[in-house]
Amino acid sequence: MAFTSVIPPLLPKVDAILVLDGEGNRLAGKYYGDFLTSTTSSSSRAAMSTGDDSKPASANVTVEDLRASFERQLQAKIQGIAARSDAAEVVTVMGKTAVFCGGMAMGASPSGVGGDVRVVHVGPNTESELLLAYLCEGMYDALSNLMGGQTDRNMVLDNLELVFLLIDEHCDGGVILEVDGAKLSSSVLLRDDEDMVADAGAGESAPQGAAPSTTGMRGMGNGFGMQGGDISIAQAFRQAKQQLIAGLQADGM
Amino acid sequence: MADDLLKEVTDFFKDGEKDKKIEKSFANVNKASTLIAARDFHDSIKVKEDPSNCRRTLTQLLHLQQNAVEKLNHIEATEVFFGVTKLFFCKDSSLRRMVYVALKELYKLCDPSDVIIVTSCLTKDMTCNIDIYRANALRVLVRIIDSSMLSALERYVKQAIMHKSPLVASSALVSSLQLYQKSTENASIVKRWIGEVNEAMKSNDAMVQFHATELFYQIKENDRLAISKFVQKHSGVITNGSSSASRIKDRVRSPLAIICLIRYTSKLMHEEVMEGRVASDASIMNATEICAVGYRYFESCLRHEVDIVAFEAAKAICTLPTTSPEVVLPALSVLQLSLSSTKPASRLATVKLLCGLASLHPRLVSRFNEGLEALIGDPNRLIGTLSMMTLLKTGTENSLDRLLKSISNFLYQIAEEYKVMVVHSLERVCLTYPTKSRIVIGFLSKFLRDEGGFLFKKTIVKSIVSLIQKIPEDDVRDIALLYLCEFIEDCEFVNLSTEIIHLIGQYGPQASSPARYVRFVYNRCILEKSVIRASAISALTTFAIECPDLRHSILPLLKSCLTDEDDETRDRVVLALNLIGEDSTETNTDEKDYDAHDKQSEETSIVHVLTSKLPMSFDNLALSLKAYQKIPGAMEAIEPLSFDNLPIVEGPDEIESKGSGILEESPSNLLEDDNIKKLDPAAAVYAIPELASFGRVFKSCNPIPVTEAESEYVVTYIKHILDNFIILQFMVQNTIEDQRLENVSVALQTDSAAYEVVGEIEAKTISYGHSENCYTVLERNLQEPFEPFALAAELKFTVIQVDPETGEGEGDQDLLEEEYPLEDLEIFNSDFVAKTTVVDFRKAWESIGNTNEILQKFGLGDKTIQSATIAVVDCLGMQTCDGTGQIKPGSKQHMLHLSGTYLGGVKVLARCQIAGSKDVGTILKIAIRSESKEVSKQILESL
Repeated sequence: MAFTSVIPPLLPKVDAILVLDGEGNRLAGKYYGDFLTSTTSSSSRAAMSTGDDSKPASANVTVEDLRASFERQLQAKIQGIAARSDAAEVVTVMGKTAVFCGGMAMGASPSGVGGDVRVVHVGPNTESELLLAYLCEGMYDALSNLMGGQTDRNMVLDNLELVFLLIDEHCDGGVILEVDGAKLSSSVLLRDDEDMVADAGAGESAPQGAAPSTTGMRGMGNGFGMQGGDISIAQAFRQAKQQLIAGLQADGM
Repeated sequence: MADDLLKEVTDFFKDGEKDKKIEKSFANVNKASTLIAARDFHDSIKVKEDPSNCRRTLTQLLHLQQNAVEKLNHIEATEVFFGVTKLFFCKDSSLRRMVYVALKELYKLCDPSDVIIVTSCLTKDMTCNIDIYRANALRVLVRIIDSSMLSALERYVKQAIMHKSPLVASSALVSSLQLYQKSTENASIVKRWIGEVNEAMKSNDAMVQFHATELFYQIKENDRLAISKFVQKHSGVITNGSSSASRIKDRVRSPLAIICLIRYTSKLMHEEVMEGRVASDASIMNATEICAVGYRYFESCLRHEVDIVAFEAAKAICTLPTTSPEVVLPALSVLQLSLSSTKPASRLATVKLLCGLASLHPRLVSRFNEGLEALIGDPNRLIGTLSMMTLLKTGTENSLDRLLKSISNFLYQIAEEYKVMVVHSLERVCLTYPTKSRIVIGFLSKFLRDEGGFLFKKTIVKSIVSLIQKIPEDDVRDIALLYLCEFIEDCEFVNLSTEIIHLIGQYGPQASSPARYVRFVYNRCILEKSVIRASAISALTTFAIECPDLRHSILPLLKSCLTDEDDETRDRVVLALNLIGEDSTETNTDEKDYDAHDKQSEETSIVHVLTSKLPMSFDNLALSLKAYQKIPGAMEAIEPLSFDNLPIVEGPDEIESKGSGILEESPSNLLEDDNIKKLDPAAAVYAIPELASFGRVFKSCNPIPVTEAESEYVVTYIKHILDNFIILQFMVQNTIEDQRLENVSVALQTDSAAYEVVGEIEAKTISYGHSENCYTVLERNLQEPFEPFALAAELKFTVIQVDPETGEGEGDQDLLEEEYPLEDLEIFNSDFVAKTTVVDFRKAWESIGNTNEILQKFGLGDKTIQSATIAVVDCLGMQTCDGTGQIKPGSKQHMLHLSGTYLGGVKVLARCQIAGSKDVGTILKIAIRSESKEVSKQILESL
């Protein structure tokens, strides 16, 4: 009996991973296990009772309501706090530990480094805050990598596909798959070396190997998020911009 | 030239903006258009030409599923699902990735039978030579397949676990973990892969090691020996059995895996202590093999270069179940370091740990005081609050004044919930230093008058009230009541006002000069809202009844309220005047003597009803009444309902107040669930007409297993205790797929004379995976004295072989009569005792009298006070009162208050004093009082 309260979970799991914008809207996110899934569980009731008094906590409360209520409470605590990518901040919400990276400090100019998007990891309150912070920092690292350092709402929405893939690569059913930011971002961008070889090999052996649109990697240039599986459009823009500015400066001199 | 270029660039960016506009449409994608776009999935040419379009549609779908109000319904989801399966024909690898992600979302919304069709595509991907496909396909696959398909795929999963690519191996291990947790059939298959898992532990990849560790633990969770061997092997601590070469080879390097190992070790060590293998005087550092090796492992991890690991080890050491400070010492340097870390998470975790540690070792933690004081101003308010709480715990009586000063500044800066936490720790400080309670109560009341939310003020009021109750000093009570009186002078919360007025009514009459409070209460009668006026009248009434001297001055006050405009208030005044008016003729009788009242006229018994407390709490009363309704025939019974014939409801276990007392979910919600479940067992008995005729169930014990949790037939039983019978309810679960059990019963044999088997009810059929009840009834033979006895049990049933697919019997077959041995059932004395709470133990103890008191002294074999207390509570089966179930760590003796009700409604109380001594273990002095000598004896015998 006694040790259940002292010993952290023996199979470390996260309850939810959320990507929120500055106002606390969920851009992407995933809830795992039975956290906030049944409207009758005690955690859910706590959500409804303390969250929104205007709504009656009745049977027609949907899971989505619970989550929205949870996220509102979360946002109330984290807004205005900016956490550096290597120093995640911790709050507790409804008896859960929530660890987050990113965000904009109150009054900071929106043009600052990084962006207003926060990555939040929610875990049981017995879980080590340090461990959750480690996971969160890893994912935030990967996210800012993928977004070219610009983790604002628009950038993330534009590249939502990458974010979905990132969450999927980072965590499977609550169990952490990979934490390292660099590894995460390269596997989201399919930059697995062996895979490239295998893929290229498949491409050559295939009859229409010459047609670029059929062999995965090369087919991705047309528009959506990435170019050649490497950089996103925005990244390309920024690079172009920097080059141009450099060029202009050289010109002016 | 530069201008031209600049223009070009700006134009270019404008175009970019336009593109973005389109993409931003995520903010308002709608379901209909996305579903139309999803139809393109069926068009293989379109898919081939523009896979990125499909990816976008899939992303939109996922986005919708997460954020939109209108989610996909079952039919739409199924349609999209079939569309998505078509996308497998496209070779675009990033599209394929999105397909995997989408499938994981969609499968939940579709019928399992529909979902099955992707299995072949996924199996193909899983066996192809592209790692990223293999890994991802497997992760989707495990969510879809059932155990029969799993056995067909077993080979591939095993290969994947040992695959050289870390990605594939990790995915396979995590998938196995999911499989294991999904169903018991899957679990039994996954168990066979233990060899592969061990192989995966040798991987060089950190994540693979971590996942293999987790899976190993999951599989061997109940196998202590295997876990401890595993931990020892991979921890790299030198033991007698291992050579140094294997030590280095097997040591895990993954920080996450090490964290897991630390937690497993910690659990093993806790179990060593819980199960009494560690002597009370031995240090946990070297008490047993497991402890010694574990402790050394922790020490070595303290020096690990990754801070998470070092901290985890420090945490494990600090939470060891021991009281000796030298055990904790090595961890302190790590904590010192992480307390001043730049990472908020690290500071928070450290302060949280220190806060818990401070309850055990305030001295040790006080060396951190300097660092903690610096943290009070931390930008993360939770850290500040916890530091403050820790400082309060470590502070001495003298430093308290200084602390209070900084708290008052601090409290203005933090959020309400943190204020609540600080108030709670202030309350605890008072209990440690009762002499300071006057200062602290004054301090708290200052905040009552300041601005603040309801929760904060309510907490303060609660704390003050609990201090009044727990510190039985008159001046503390008087002062506290005065502060509360001042508070209600201008309290904006009606709830709080009425509560306080009620409290003043409750405690005021016992105060040294009750007259003081009457003025405050009467002021409320004139100035406040009707609700408050009404409660003030009630409070005045209690004053008038309990303090005869004041009666003459209160009567005019009450009379002046007769003209109140509110009905309720007026009613109460009239009632009060009638009560007091009748009563005032006999002013000199001792009003507190309720027993005397009962013998007097009927009017005074009304006074008694109105002023004395309920014999049980409201919650229990509600539960009890609900249980009463369920009893067949109870609602039609002629006899009037009274407290004595209400069924006894076991009170919820006292809420364990943890040392740190923070960050816990509000327990009331949890309790509610428990209580609802607790009522269920007896209802099962009432539902069966044959059993219902035996009468009312006095108590239903908790279910006890009589088989291993993993055996073919899982049996647990519940003892329902009735006045002259015991009904044993057996819950039998059939876990064999190709069998159906019929006519299931449990045969019992006993040599006890007090009870004999008089009947049984069979469970007709139990098909695979189901659980049914069968019952056996024992009748009490009143001639024989009762003694605890055991029953040999055997499960009897007829087996019918069935086809696992259809669940139908396979043609003609011989009916096999089978028997399956169960563990012995035991009936204890404690089964006849229901845990009931008493509102006021001291009063109950005195009122029950010592006519049937039995005193006895025992030497207990238990090594620690902790385990002795648990054992005593278990043995007696009674409810702990006044929070005495919680033992102060490190104390040399413990006072335990227990209450219960014996079969037939006989109240039993017990006071136990448990003292530890080095030579003989622990000594128990017990005093039992009850309404019957026989029962007292019976209870004593259960020890």
